[in-house]
Amino acid sequence: MSEVITVSTRRGGFQQFDSIADEFEEDEDVDMSDVDEGESGGEKSGLQIVTPGELVSEDPAWMRGHGTYFLDNMTYSSVAGTVSKVNRLLSVLPLKGRYSPETGDHIVGRIAEVGNKRWRVDIGGKQHAVLMLGSVNLPGGILRRKSESDELQMRSFLKEGDLLNAEVQSLFQDGSASLHTRSLKYGKLRDGVFCQVPSSLIVRSKNHTHNLPGNVTVVLGVNGYIWLRKTSKMDSARDAPSGASMGSTGGPTGAKSLKADSVSITRLEEESSWQIYVDENDPTITNSVRQTIARYANVIKALAYCEIGITQERIVSAYEASMSYSNSGSLIEKEAMESLGDDVLNAEKMRGSPL
Amino acid sequence: MGLSVTEKLYLYDSLTSNPVVRPDGRKPHQFRPIEVFTDFLPSANGSSRIIASDGSECIVSIKAKVIDHTVEDELIHVEIDIAGQRDDSPQVETMTSLLNNVLEPRGGIDVSKLRLTKRYSFKIFIDVLLLSSASHPVSLISMAIHSALNSTCLPKLVSSFDDLEVEELPTFHDYDLVRLELSAPVVFVAAIVGDSILMDAAAAESEVSNNGLIITWSNGKAISPIRTVALNDSDVKGFDPKILQKAITMVEEYAPDVLRALNNA
Amino acid sequence: MSRLEIYSPEGLRLDGRRWNELRRFECSINTHSHAADGSSYLEQGNNKVITLVKGPQEPSSRSQVDTAKALLRISVNITKFSKTERSKTSHKNERRVLEMQTALVRTFNKNVMLNVYPRTLINIEVHVLQQDGGIMGSLINGITLALIDAGIAMYDYISGVSVGLYDTTPLLDTNSLEENAMSTVTLGVVGKTEKLSLLLVEDKIPLDRLENVLAIGIAGTHRIRDLMDKELRKRAEKRVANALSR
Repeated sequence: MSEVITVSTRRGGFQQFDSIADEFEEDEDVDMSDVDEGESGGEKSGLQIVTPGELVSEDPAWMRGHGTYFLDNMTYSSVAGTVSKVNRLLSVLPLKGRYSPETGDHIVGRIAEVGNKRWRVDIGGKQHAVLMLGSVNLPGGILRRKSESDELQMRSFLKEGDLLNAEVQSLFQDGSASLHTRSLKYGKLRDGVFCQVPSSLIVRSKNHTHNLPGNVTVVLGVNGYIWLRKTSKMDSARDAPSGASMGSTGGPTGAKSLKADSVSITRLEEESSWQIYVDENDPTITNSVRQTIARYANVIKALAYCEIGITQERIVSAYEASMSYSNSGSLIEKEAMESLGDDVLNAEKMRGSPL
Repeated sequence: MGLSVTEKLYLYDSLTSNPVVRPDGRKPHQFRPIEVFTDFLPSANGSSRIIASDGSECIVSIKAKVIDHTVEDELIHVEIDIAGQRDDSPQVETMTSLLNNVLEPRGGIDVSKLRLTKRYSFKIFIDVLLLSSASHPVSLISMAIHSALNSTCLPKLVSSFDDLEVEELPTFHDYDLVRLELSAPVVFVAAIVGDSILMDAAAAESEVSNNGLIITWSNGKAISPIRTVALNDSDVKGFDPKILQKAITMVEEYAPDVLRALNNA
Repeated sequence: MSRLEIYSPEGLRLDGRRWNELRRFECSINTHSHAADGSSYLEQGNNKVITLVKGPQEPSSRSQVDTAKALLRISVNITKFSKTERSKTSHKNERRVLEMQTALVRTFNKNVMLNVYPRTLINIEVHVLQQDGGIMGSLINGITLALIDAGIAMYDYISGVSVGLYDTTPLLDTNSLEENAMSTVTLGVVGKTEKLSLLLVEDKIPLDRLENVLAIGIAGTHRIRDLMDKELRKRAEKRVANALSR
């Protein structure tokens, strides 16, 4: 294999087809009054797989959720996916699809448009999310009132292309999200790089910001947008034992005395000044931190390539396994990504960790 | 793709540091892996499809036609179709003219191989369909053309070479084909970021590049066209001529590996 | 054309099929996972079609916003090299292609649950790499697969096929040689029903024969639906198994 480029070739074929046609070779004596009888495939796994137009239930008592429709007292599937029955709600979860926001999700987004008293944010969903001017902390303290001049200088806070992490505050009627960043753990992102994975690989959990070995912090947006950055003082303070109550939403956080070196009320004061919107990186990011970040980015892409759910433990485990490749650039090869994925899963089996 | 100011600063600092830290950990001269499929269009004389690891994809069809070269002298004709773009859009037109330049007979391609008789030649139609691309696609397209021409087979001539006196069209063998041994130039795009030179820049890397250089490689040497190309619309700057020399040296050093991988794999 | 025997007395067609047989039908989904939300690659005989579905996504301009439902856009790109003889002119603005696009949009507008995705745009690109008759049916099948792959809600499959009428015999799934020699009808059928969501009759055809033609066409589309369904289920099972083991 060349150090410079890997080329894999196939002659004659365009796409691999496994022969699916062989079972259909019998004569074409089709019965014209063919009725659709629900096929019973895929039930070995315990999950019922359905495809569009398939009858899911004849029982009209079910409430119809996403991925279904109702016709003549029967519920049919409108997507290809697995049937989910929760309480009285019957829905079909599609195998693939764009991120659909839920209230409370911790997401990473990119400003797409600056509008009237609001930003429109690309969160990888079907529609852009909305961030109202009133839902962000502005320089000059948490309790400061918004003025007209703020409306005029919205671009000096957040402009097109800017990345931020935020929480989904509520959903509109049409399913689009309204965000807020009224907490010190949310806001503009800096000191790092962005990468993206399918949103289905990120599991919703209590905490989506993790400090990783090597002085790197990851923000795993539920929408599949990921930010990797050098661990900041704020990040390390969050992990400090008594500082666990960091940044409870919006309220008078300053009242709690956060342990430690640098994080104090004055620090918070400082954070809520212009500092939080400044377009500068930490000048002390070393080359080795940059290399570590690049390695983490490749490790995350490898997990995504293997369709493995992405959690803090797995990132760390894959990162450790990746150390057998001295040059993290070799992790872009398919074989390397596959073997890394296997390593992570095997390590989990050995440890017998749940999931 | 619009990046934020801090992302750009971080990338620029990483790419200009020593040693260079690329966002995916690659070395400056390292390419991303590609997949090549050939010979999948039975109705064409040659075909190829290249998929890059970022999902960029390009499909090339090669069709040949017999023409009287005393009447028509253009033997290679390239057309580009970029998905979602009109045929007369500026991007399609610049790309078409660039590739016509690359495949210009006086440069790397030996057109005499298309000669059939004293009067007739094959004319090669190269149709490119760019399905999607994340960064500057010219390198990918040229590799696809290279592979498609490598896979091209043309009917075997059975009539005599000298047909000036006898007024007849060349005749071909019913089923025997001859491999067309036409080696098309491959184009490399070198991104210039500060004093660093990067091969095969990814989308984010292109976004912070000060400039880009297109370098054509044919039969073991760098040839024209060599020219600059803007890899983004915002941060284009001039560069030191020494960089040009460095970039050509880099291509000279690594192009043979790329071509070997393309031809052998 | 006279030398070629379209339908032999023994009941065989040019490519050896009988009157009621489909061409080779192979498909796969999720072929372009980086470039689109849903994608499919389909071979129906010598037709080779790539379909990309992008969306539902934020419309790029305000004029595309419909507050009640998604806007569906379909563009069909028939490449210049798709036929044996390379065409000199682009097919992009040909009336025939524009008509195909309109017919496809109408067909899928009714079948996709657009009301579920208000204020969004669903963009479908179809690239025809090679064509050999009955292309409209292949386009329908490719789009259906790619839409399902994208996870976009729809009422049912739509499958399409062309049927020719040779003298009094209907011929299922015509190729281009047959298409040139006789009148053909293209239909798009909803799932396993007998509902036609698309019917194209562009040539003269005796009305009393139409019923026969439609009957074999509907049977053919049902078979195609089953083939597509099989591929989808196979993929779905793999994915579910994958998710459980991990």
